[in-house]
Amino acid sequence: MTFEELTAKVNGTVVVDNPGAEINFAYSGDLLSDVMGHCGDESVLITIQNHLNAIAVCTLAGIEAIVVCQGRPVPDDMKAAAEREGVGIVTTPLPQFAAAIALAELKPSVR
Amino acid sequence: MKFDIHVHSCLSPCASLEMAPSEIVKRAVESGMDGLALTDHQSARNTPAFAECARRAGLACLFGLEVQTAEEVHTVALFDTTEQALAMTEWVYAAMPRRVNDPETFGDQPVVTWDDDIVEMEWRILAMGCRRSIPETSAKVAELGGLYIAAHIDRPNFSVLSGLGAIPDGCFDAVEISRTADACKWLPKAAGYAAVRSSDAHNLDDVARVWTEADLAEFSVAGLKAAFIAKATTLSPPLTTF
Repeated sequence: MTFEELTAKVNGTVVVDNPGAEINFAYSGDLLSDVMGHCGDESVLITIQNHLNAIAVCTLAGIEAIVVCQGRPVPDDMKAAAEREGVGIVTTPLPQFAAAIALAELKPSVR
Repeated sequence: MKFDIHVHSCLSPCASLEMAPSEIVKRAVESGMDGLALTDHQSARNTPAFAECARRAGLACLFGLEVQTAEEVHTVALFDTTEQALAMTEWVYAAMPRRVNDPETFGDQPVVTWDDDIVEMEWRILAMGCRRSIPETSAKVAELGGLYIAAHIDRPNFSVLSGLGAIPDGCFDAVEISRTADACKWLPKAAGYAAVRSSDAHNLDDVARVWTEADLAEFSVAGLKAAFIAKATTLSPPLTTF
């Protein structure tokens, strides 16, 4: 799934673009230690964790994109880090479970 | 007595590298603080340098760390001595991921001397949580003779209210309201705990920009604990701009 397809499926708004990213797996979680321990690469993270540290975890785990749920705002420092690290950010009004259903064709990310 | 008891040094990956203990102490003295505590993320390894800087400046100080618990809640542990704070650090380190910090991703983590030399770079990822829960951490702080404070309860990330929805009974000595938060709004959510306002400074300009005031016999764990039990703390006004 491309970043553009993912954005459309969650009815999302692109905050940081990641054109051409290929996303094959998904993981849902808000505890960043859990995400770091279990989420692998080529993946999207479905979360409400709108914090700078989420981008650092994406960089370590090889996560291509974050779907920030519940319409949570993306702080400027998180946006800047995502631009620097090449991580896409999409915000969606959907809660995490609904976002996961919308992306159900992706495989669960396992590490 | 005015004090700022949540301040980061350069050891914290998210703090500015200008945050040498010497500069932090200087700034606190210039700002008229009577007491100061150093509380880096997951580590008290810069407290020996901080202790020496404070001793030279004649500033009363406490030594601590901001423990990110298994619930990913930020909590501040404070002690009278660097030995206690370093013992707490060892206990936290034993439950941290054995993954090496990438400074490009999270930031540099220098352990420094009182006169600003770098001793080494801490290799653990201090930006990550440990596997100790809030009740476990609370019990360990008490065993070591410290104070335990729920950090920035008003924040939407990494606070006890954002993570757990409520403040657990019996775990804390006080709760911290952050520098821009309206105390009138947040104190009713403090579950009866005493409150402090601290800077949580990550750069020099923020050191002691807000503070807590209390009539303490001495700036120590026992002195603060007595003020917390008596709910005899006064918070500085919030900052209206960053």
